[in-house]
Parts: sequence; structure tokens; C-alpha cells
Amino acid sequence: MPGAPRPTAIHVDRAQCMGSGMCIMYAANTFAHDDETKAVVIDIDGDSLEALHNAVEACPTGALALVYESEGV
Amino acid sequence: MTSTNPILDLDRVREIFDLAGSYLVWTGGKYRDDPYPLWHDLRQRAPVQPGVVHQLMGVTDDIGFHGLPEPDREHFSAFSWAACDAAYRDPETFASSPEPVDVESGQATITNSLLSMGGAQHRRYRALVQPSFGPARARWWIENWIDQTVHALIDCFEAQGRAELNVEFCAAIPVLTITGSFGVPVDQALDIRETVSRQPDALIEIIKPIVAARREHPQNDLISVLTHSEVSDEEGATHRLSDAEIYSFSLLLLAAGSGTTWKQMGIALTAMLSRPEVLAAVAADRNLLRPAIEETMRWMPTDPMFSRWLAQDAELEGQHLPKGSVLHMCIGAANRDPARWDRPDEYDISRPLKPTFGFGGGPHVCLGQHVARAEMTVGINALLDRLPGLRLDPDAEPPTFGGLYERGATAIPVVFG
Ligand code: HEM
Ligand code: SF4
Repeated sequence: MPGAPRPTAIHVDRAQCMGSGMCIMYAANTFAHDDETKAVVIDIDGDSLEALHNAVEACPTGALALVYESEGV
Repeated sequence: MTSTNPILDLDRVREIFDLAGSYLVWTGGKYRDDPYPLWHDLRQRAPVQPGVVHQLMGVTDDIGFHGLPEPDREHFSAFSWAACDAAYRDPETFASSPEPVDVESGQATITNSLLSMGGAQHRRYRALVQPSFGPARARWWIENWIDQTVHALIDCFEAQGRAELNVEFCAAIPVLTITGSFGVPVDQALDIRETVSRQPDALIEIIKPIVAARREHPQNDLISVLTHSEVSDEEGATHRLSDAEIYSFSLLLLAAGSGTTWKQMGIALTAMLSRPEVLAAVAADRNLLRPAIEETMRWMPTDPMFSRWLAQDAELEGQHLPKGSVLHMCIGAANRDPARWDRPDEYDISRPLKPTFGFGGGPHVCLGQHVARAEMTVGINALLDRLPGLRLDPDAEPPTFGGLYERGATAIPVVFG
């Protein structure tokens, strides 16, 4: 998706995150697990937009959301 | 052929892992047709419809899997991506069990476990075991168990110039990986695999002393992690796994992690070996192995159906599902839904990567998926490294796929060198 805007933030709902590691599978340069096996963002520009969409879609508990600054501001 | 394998009795492995043999008849091991054209027809007729997957396919044998037979309930089957996705994302409505799970005082069975839990119980229990199965933990599994198993198996046939990879390789790796992680010696590994579905108590007798020993003196293995891991709940109370919980979990791991990875690796190898240009491309550029494995998970997941129990009435893609009924999610069909994939029946490793249901979805998504990927990746890479010229044996019957609820390759005869 060349030219599509990139998210300005990625929201991880820690209460929802079950530590499945699927986001890391699809976007390994963006996500990692902290020492509670919860997802954290290590580099928001680490992966392609497609990879981020895959991570969000694959998350088994819907814990991830891409945030675009222009939205609702 | 007599067994010369120093680490495993291959004749016994062959018997246990014969897809059409007595061990696998229940899940449709005799099935030899291609189910995909039928699944396309069924999806086209209705994405969700009354009936059981194999019966809708015209199979009248008395076979079953997760969520079957359940003769006293109404049954429905889902064939589209959208329908399976909606069910996976709503675990409160689409529950993994019709009744609460009681590991502590209930019977030790494969389903009286994590697999069937719901809500907070599932969350707490899964949080205890999840840390040992994350992507970052794959290296731990590889260095401790996978690498040495893979190379020991190749040592057995490397000099012979030929092998039957389905049993001599794919079947053995997952069993030895999981039993190795339990701290069980190799000569007991097959006893365990053989009894796991019929006499779960026999496994518990083998595991019991190991659990007791690891509670005293932890070692670098999975049982030690399980005996010592702690998790805090919302109220701040810490939990550890009880002995009964560890037994139940060990049983589930063996049942869920050995037959599946065996057959999925066999499917991956068969898909590549039957397409020499794909195999050559992967051999030359190992970065292609990942898309090849992911495409295998989409194109032919070994377990094409899992089930959910309706905790309340629901509508799914226009079909009313009453409370108490069972929904069979045909993830094999969902993974080839033309609404999501172009040319869905083609095995094409150049497709853009996209989530599939090969490892399921929702909160019960496969716990062992990163271990399974590590086993398949390390295994196939080692074959490509050590067996130059690897190809299907031109003088043998080419591999075919069989099984209905547990699909796999019949045999994978190869030559090399
Ligand atoms: C390629 C091989 C594998 C495939 C295709 C596979 C597939 C699946 C699927 C589809 C589910 C979801 C079941 C449902 O929705 O009810 C599942 C769950 C599970 N798998 Fe796997 N699996 C594989 C390998 C493994 C391995 C190697 C292990 C363990 C080492 C494992 C352990 C589990 C466990 C414990 C669950 C239950 C998770 C829960 O209920 O929270 N699997 N697997
Ligand atoms: S995919 Fe979702 S549940 Fe899994 S680790 Fe990432 S955020 Fe957590």
C-alpha cells in the first residue's frame, strides 16, 4: 500500500493481551514480549503496513489497534 | 525392513503412525478422496448450515473428532472464512466446552484440560504456560530438544541414499521433542505416545515421579518451568500449577502437539517435493521456507475442523444456532475461501503473507504454534543441508494425502545423493 498513511501509535490493551505471540510472528521488528509475556511496541516503524495489519488481524483477543493522529482529533 | 535406528524402534513408530491403521480410524483415517471440491460446494450452498462436516460430505462411516459424536445435540457446520472468524472472535457465545472444566477432581482426559476451559479460568491457566511457548522461547526448544533429535534421525538414513520421511523423520521429531521436554528418556517415549489417547493414566504414572523430582530440584526442562511458574490474578493473588493441572497439561501437549506437527511437516514436505521448482527455490534461498510453511498451513491444515458449543442462541451468517448446539468450524474450507484468497486451491509460496486458521484462532489459538514452526523449519532446513539432491523416489508410488479430520501424507519415499 504505497502512500497509505502509517499509524502514529499502536495501542496494546494489556488486559486483553494473552501473550500469544502472533503479533511478533507477523511484525517481529515492531512487537516484542515484556517480562509478563505481554506485547509491547519496540519500533513503530519496524515493519511494513501490511505486516502491521496482519498482526492486528491475527491477534486472537483483539488487543491491538493502530492509531492515526488525524483521527478524531 | 528391520529397524536399525538406535534412538527409536522404527517398526513400532510405523504402526503407531500409520494413517489408516487402527490408531487413526476414528478420525477418518481411511478417507482417501480430495475433500476440497466438496467443501467449496458446501460453502457455496450456505456458509453455515445444519449438519456435521463429514456427513454433509456424504461420508457415512462412524468417524469423529473434536465436538463429535454428541448424539443428543443439534449440529451445524461453518465453511466460510467470515463465519469461522466471527465464531473465533466471540468465545463467550462460542464456548470450547458445554460444561465447566474441573481438572482437579475430574478425570484425566485430553479434553478435561486447557483446551475446553473458558473465560477467566482459561486466561489464568494459559498465562501460566504461555511464557514457555512464545516466539522468543523457540530457541530454547531448538537447542535443548529439536536440533539433536533432527540430526540423530538424519544420521540413521543419511548413508542409505533413501528414506521414507513421513515415518522415519516427520513422525518421530514431535514425539521426541515433547517427551524430551518432559525429561522422559527416549525408550519410554513410544510407550507414552501409544497410550496417550487410550490409557491416559499410564502417562501420568510416568510423569508423576518427574514432577515430584522437579518440584525439589528444578532442571532446564519444561516440567521444571511448569512446577515453578507463577501468575497473579486481578486481585493480586499468585497461582501455581497443581500436580493435577500439570498432568492434564502434559497429556494435552502430547495429544495436541505430536500427531499434528508430524502430519503438517509431512504435508509441507510433500507439497514441496511434488513441485521440484518450489523445492529448488527454497533450497537456494532459505528465506522462502517460511512462506512455504505458512502456505502449507493455509493450503492443507492437518486438522481441518474444530468445534464450539453454543452458550446462548446466536445468528451466524443468516443461520440461527440454538443454545446448546455444536458448531463445527471447517477451517480447512475457510482457508480456501475465494472471498479471501485468489486461486485458493493453488499451493503458491509467493502469496502475500496473511493470517490463516491453520493453528486456529481466538483465545484457544494453538499454544504450540511457535514450537511447531521451529520443528518444521529446523527439520526441513536440516534435510536440505545434509541430503543434496533430495527428491521423490522415481521408482516408488508418489505420496498422496489421506485422512479426514486428521489429514496427512501416506508415505514420502525419497532418494538423495
Ligand atoms: C503444525 C502443528 C500443529 C497444528 C496444525 C496445531 C493446531 C491447533 C489448533 C487448530 C488448535 C485450536 C483448537 C481449537 O480451536 O479448539 C490448537 C490448540 C492447541 N495446540 Fe496446537 N497445533 C500444532 C502443534 C502443536 C504443538 C507442537 C503443541 C505443543 C507443544 C500444541 C499444543 C496445543 C495446545 C496446548 C492447544 C490448546 C490451546 C488452548 O486451548 O488454549 N500444538 N492447535
Ligand atoms: S497477538 Fe495479541 S494477544 Fe498475542 S501477544 Fe500480540 S497483542 Fe498479545
